[in-house]
Amino acid sequence: MLELKDVHTYYGNIHALKGISLTVNDGEIVTLIGSNGAGKSTTLRTIQGLNKPRSGSVVLNGIELHKLPAHEIAMLGVAQSPEGRMIFPRMTVMENLEMGAYVRKDLTSFNDDLEHVFSLFPRLKERVTQKGGTLSGGEQQMLAMGRALMAKPKILLLDEPSMGLAPLLVELIFDTIKKLNQEGTTILLVEQNALMALSIAHRGYVLQTGEIILSDSAQNLKNDEMVQKSYLGVE
Amino acid sequence: MKNIRSGITFGIVGGLLTFLFGGWSVAVIGSLMGVGLGMVIIGKLERKNPMQIALSVLPTALVAGSILVLFSLYQNNFVQEAIGKRPAAVNIVLYGNLIGFLGAVLFTTLLAGMHGLPAKQEQQWRMILLAMLVVAFPFIDKLTALRWTAQIIFALIFVILGLGLNIVVGYAGLLDLGYAAFFAIGAYTTGMLSSGAHNIHINFWLVIWIAAAMAAIWGFMLGAPTLPLRGDYLAIVTLGFGEIVPVLFKNLINVTIKEPFTCWILPMFKIQTTCKVFVENFDLTLGEKGISPIGRPWFPFFGNLPTNVNTIHGQWAIGSKWLYIGEFESSNPITWYFLIIAIILLSVFVIRRLRDSRLGRSWMAIREDELAAAQMGIDPVKTKLAAFALGATFSGFAGAFYAAYISGIFPSVFDFSASIIILCVVILGGIGNINGVIVGGLVLMTADRLFLPALKDFLASLLTHTILPSISDPVVQLAVKDNANPILYRFLLFGLTLVIMMAVRPEGLIPNPQNRAELHAEEEAPVVEAETPKTKKAKKG
Repeated sequence: MLELKDVHTYYGNIHALKGISLTVNDGEIVTLIGSNGAGKSTTLRTIQGLNKPRSGSVVLNGIELHKLPAHEIAMLGVAQSPEGRMIFPRMTVMENLEMGAYVRKDLTSFNDDLEHVFSLFPRLKERVTQKGGTLSGGEQQMLAMGRALMAKPKILLLDEPSMGLAPLLVELIFDTIKKLNQEGTTILLVEQNALMALSIAHRGYVLQTGEIILSDSAQNLKNDEMVQKSYLGVE
Repeated sequence: MKNIRSGITFGIVGGLLTFLFGGWSVAVIGSLMGVGLGMVIIGKLERKNPMQIALSVLPTALVAGSILVLFSLYQNNFVQEAIGKRPAAVNIVLYGNLIGFLGAVLFTTLLAGMHGLPAKQEQQWRMILLAMLVVAFPFIDKLTALRWTAQIIFALIFVILGLGLNIVVGYAGLLDLGYAAFFAIGAYTTGMLSSGAHNIHINFWLVIWIAAAMAAIWGFMLGAPTLPLRGDYLAIVTLGFGEIVPVLFKNLINVTIKEPFTCWILPMFKIQTTCKVFVENFDLTLGEKGISPIGRPWFPFFGNLPTNVNTIHGQWAIGSKWLYIGEFESSNPITWYFLIIAIILLSVFVIRRLRDSRLGRSWMAIREDELAAAQMGIDPVKTKLAAFALGATFSGFAGAFYAAYISGIFPSVFDFSASIIILCVVILGGIGNINGVIVGGLVLMTADRLFLPALKDFLASLLTHTILPSISDPVVQLAVKDNANPILYRFLLFGLTLVIMMAVRPEGLIPNPQNRAELHAEEEAPVVEAETPKTKKAKKG
């Protein structure tokens, strides 16, 4: 479904992605793990068109995304729940969710989708009239995910959904990701919490300083000695 | 008790205003004060039975009305003498004060009573009341010989400008410091296409649309280079445009356009050609002299056929002589007043529809976070250009109206200070709020156009008749006389207003609910709560 081929992305002179190639198949959860600065978020930003690759290609169902501006990529069904959430702070929860549905031409199922988001995140329903910026961190994360879901994406990019959240909330978010996948959404998940990510993903890639150093099924990665040592904290 | 305090404040402010204008002004000020007081206090009242609410504000209204009348009577008996005028005739004093008092009480209680109705009905009735006042105002103004309408029209021009700038600054969040450029483009388009400058006389009803379209096109063109810029950088570039445009209009007095190929490139290779000149030494804008007179709107249903119709309006008049029934004249501001009210109503209608449309939502998303907006599928380029172009359109309307109303335009009118005044209108009223901008424009510009000149006259006569004779030292006497002119301090006062507003009420007079929530977060109940596993568990259990 989504295929990156030898993608090189730069920030000015800094070579952030040094030839990333990865694929995400329909219906999968694929996770990208790696330490700080490995290029995980840059990969997602490159897919979304917020950073343009200097060479290489990003192809979604035969369409070359690297040639399109960000808003057109969003129109094609790529939704991201960004790192640091990037919700609209002065809009209400409801308005934020409505913005999520901006890309959709067909709004007949809008109310059903809204109910669906509220059933996943009941906390959002309690807060519909509240401003996004006044929500707690966990609620903002839920809102960012809910907003991405309102776009009815073909592929959902999740950037650090567990960042800065309490352990119980992390579990809730990961349960939700699993649930979403079972409902048919393809997910590319970027995580520092490698254990959690590998326990729900089908496949995984390990990123190190802009290069993919390992790729395998999630189960195998979990048992890999290097991964265990570097990312799972097993001595 | 808090209401009584507002009543006293309003009474004193209204009373002091009667000092400046005298005569019948107390009647008009009383009524306006009643409306203002009613609007201010209903926000603090609970909804209950209309009669009960009306009775509960009656003491406030009576206090405000009494203070006003006391000031007004004092003005008539003592202040008039001090400024060297005779007290007004008994019947003016009697009826003026009576109407002022009753107006203050009636409108305050009426607006408060309406608050007892359901919200939607209240809104409707309030609109009806305001509409009646707006319609009645110029006629009352004429009857009472106050001559305020002509100045109110200037305020209304700035209301339109504020509404347009509000799209760019308030909705899309793009700080534009050169907005007067579009005002100038609208005015100059009208000036060039409807005057003797180039002997083109296009009907005002047509030229106002051309002016708006022209402003929109330039809004689009000037918006394009600013697209990659944000925040401060954008403001600086727009500031540059704002400076360039009036200078251009000042200097486009000797325009020569030659075809480059035949005039420069071929002669360089020593090839003999006849140079093709499109325009030579053409005076496009008439420079500092300005363009004057400018054609005026005329209306088929009012007035008399001017005898010299063909000579004034050239060829356009000949074929359509039957249309020449009434021309708008500067001596009669009422027609102009209703014209600009109509333009404002149209603008408010369009801007409200825009705000609630898909485009309006994308403006707000861009204002909040441009990257996140792009992720939502919003095209930042189109959205920003639309904001610049649509914002400029309304200044095109204002410019066309201004040119026709003044019947003359000069480049100095559209300089940086004009941009800043328009920005002040938006900030004072409340960024992002249509009603706020209307109130901001009215308050700021009536203060500038009506209040300051009246204060100047008042001070001047007070000085010559009361204060100066009591000063013996001629040097001091001269210094006082020269400096007691509030118009000299116009920009100081603008600046002070802004400083005070930013310190006391940064969200503006009538704020956009989003800004109010943000700036006064600590006053309302804080809603942010810490998410801990403990509370989560407690909630589950």
